[in-house]
Amino acid sequence: MNRRTLLGGLFAAASVPALSACASGVTSLDGSGSASGGGGSSKGGVTIGTANFTENQVLGYLYAAVLKQAGVKVTVRPNLGTREIVIPALRSGDIDLLPEYQGALLNYLDPKATAAEEGAMQNALTLALPKGLQILPYGAAEDSDAFVVTRETAKKYGLTSLADLKKQNGRLVLGAAPEVKKRRVGAVGLKDVYGVEFKEFKSLDSDGPLVKGALKKGDVDVANLFTTDTDIEANDWVVLADPANLIPSQHIVPLVADRKADDTVRKALARLGNVLTTAQLTELNRLVDKDKKDPEEVADDYAKRHGLAK
Amino acid sequence: MSVDWSWIGDHTDELTSLTVSHLQAALSAVFFGVLISLPLAVIAHRIRPLRGLLLGISNVLFTIPSIAIFVLLLPVSGLTRTTTVIGLTIYTLVVLLRNTVEGLDSVPAKTKEAAKAMGTRPLRTLLTVEFPLALPVIMAGVRIATVMSISLVSVATYIGDGGLGQLFTDGFQRNFPTPVIVGVVLTILLAVVADALLVALQYVLTPWRRRRT
Amino acid sequence: MYELFKNLADWLTSGASWSGSDGIAHRLAEHLQYSLLATLIAAAIGLPIGLLIGHTGKGAFVAINLSSFGRALPTVGLVVLVFLAGGLSMLPVYVALVALAVPAIVTNTYAGMTAVDPDVRDAARGQGMRGHQVLFQVELPLALPLIMTGLRLALIQVVATATIAAYVSFGGLGRYVFDGLAQRDLVQVLGGAVLVAVVAIALDLLLSGLQRLLFRHRTA
Repeated sequence: MNRRTLLGGLFAAASVPALSACASGVTSLDGSGSASGGGGSSKGGVTIGTANFTENQVLGYLYAAVLKQAGVKVTVRPNLGTREIVIPALRSGDIDLLPEYQGALLNYLDPKATAAEEGAMQNALTLALPKGLQILPYGAAEDSDAFVVTRETAKKYGLTSLADLKKQNGRLVLGAAPEVKKRRVGAVGLKDVYGVEFKEFKSLDSDGPLVKGALKKGDVDVANLFTTDTDIEANDWVVLADPANLIPSQHIVPLVADRKADDTVRKALARLGNVLTTAQLTELNRLVDKDKKDPEEVADDYAKRHGLAK
Repeated sequence: MSVDWSWIGDHTDELTSLTVSHLQAALSAVFFGVLISLPLAVIAHRIRPLRGLLLGISNVLFTIPSIAIFVLLLPVSGLTRTTTVIGLTIYTLVVLLRNTVEGLDSVPAKTKEAAKAMGTRPLRTLLTVEFPLALPVIMAGVRIATVMSISLVSVATYIGDGGLGQLFTDGFQRNFPTPVIVGVVLTILLAVVADALLVALQYVLTPWRRRRT
Repeated sequence: MYELFKNLADWLTSGASWSGSDGIAHRLAEHLQYSLLATLIAAAIGLPIGLLIGHTGKGAFVAINLSSFGRALPTVGLVVLVFLAGGLSMLPVYVALVALAVPAIVTNTYAGMTAVDPDVRDAARGQGMRGHQVLFQVELPLALPLIMTGLRLALIQVVATATIAAYVSFGGLGRYVFDGLAQRDLVQVLGGAVLVAVVAIALDLLLSGLQRLLFRHRTA
């Protein structure tokens, strides 16, 4: 008997009772859901998952606020992890709905996709999505990835655009969340599109204290942040231009499992998408990050003020 | 670094539910840990050649970082409470198994022989003689496993669970110490209270030991 | 499952994954550095405390309870707390690892001291030995096997927990676990986990071998 089978045995022994104990909390796997999205129902309630950064939680609670108003029972599971973790959870039924970003999602689903304009991207997404998942109409608000340097670094190396980075190949350090190392909108695309090679990639976090702290301290030269982060302006950091359009349009788009996609959900999220602007979303992020307000409170408050909820 | 007391006041509901969820995860792990380790311990106690193997495996499992166990379980049980409980259960095994085996070993051979001479069947001897006598050592293991699980639950925050551990990632992301301090304090309180309750439980379960001390 | 283990074998045996600043060799060295330094600091704190309460017999209740209290400290919380208080450095990691290791060292050192036969202790005093002579020439050598056990236990826990360094941007084998989690690259996670386990087991075998060598004469 080798160790692997022993391990397997132990896992199995431990999982059987635990599974049955938690069965009520697990949504059934709906393999038969049609790709067209008909036949879904939000009656049994919708579980909203969110990724591990502030804005995604704000969006998750905004979805929750408008869905509650529409009479849907919602559960929010905040801070689950990266897209690489959350989307498999959506497919397996642990969650039903995710706030997503057009370009980043398309890159994840189909790294070779070339669509860059919102409408084309929406079509490409629909084609690229695995069975059982669908996207709803995208909203007005946008949040793009940005590659940012400090004012001093920009001056020192003469950096204004991503193309300028190539001249410093092998000299600069890129700091970003670990997943960005393998993403197209990240180390991979910077190399393919701009021919940029960094001295080192430092695994930090998604627009969090590590990556911003490292940029401030000079531990990294280039940082991957989000355009809706008020810290960029507050610190007078420079967002490098993207002349070759490596970074796609990043409108916010709800990604939902077919089994839950009914008209109630569609209408409620479409209304939110039409109302929420980039500037407003940036402000909501600031309230959470800087004023230490709860994402839930901030979202509920916003929904009330804009007539999306009572 | 100051504590924002009004934040605590505004979040009592959330803190309560996180505490309950935290405790539930830890206790489920100990429960399944006991359920699994009892029969395994009996096997390890009775069948000598298997003892080294079983204890060895549990020792090896203990050296694997808990976060890795949670991640490796994702394809099996996803982002669910089940993943948390399985991961924690694996960790309780090392302590529970070792203590239960030691407890059974500590039962004097003469006592067992006496039971046998009186015609008691092996299973009955195990349940009515060996386990009760081994109970103090087993309970010591249960106490350690419980405290350890309560402290480990928070690691599951990296897979979106983790009870009070969610306060740690939240405070970290927002550079906000209050939730982190509250989380640490509540975790320690939970552990202390749970440990005290287990001591009380042991006192109730082993009445014969009271008069001696 | 088969696929996973095959990829793991490829990863572990390819030269490319061992070299460079993100290579296994470098991460392994970092991991050893964090673990050994943390255990050393913990020993510097825990040994004197354990020896003192064992020698004097005072403060045992407090020390033992503090130890179980220490066991309850959530490592993640501690790391984040020290990070928020003092900024980004290795300090949060070391504080958490030391806090984890001290209880095991204190309790085992104390247990080793109490296991010393009181008659032996009295005999030493009877021969006119002073307090510190009794401690260093009689009690300490006799308590050493259990003290070593405590150090081994602490080291194993520290090696497994040093993965946390990667959470606050540092290296060590935890880098593979946290990066693998973010990228959902299970091969990396499993590889990191296996390497950590191997390091822990190797160190434990090394120490227990040393222990056996040192106390050979006693296991008569």
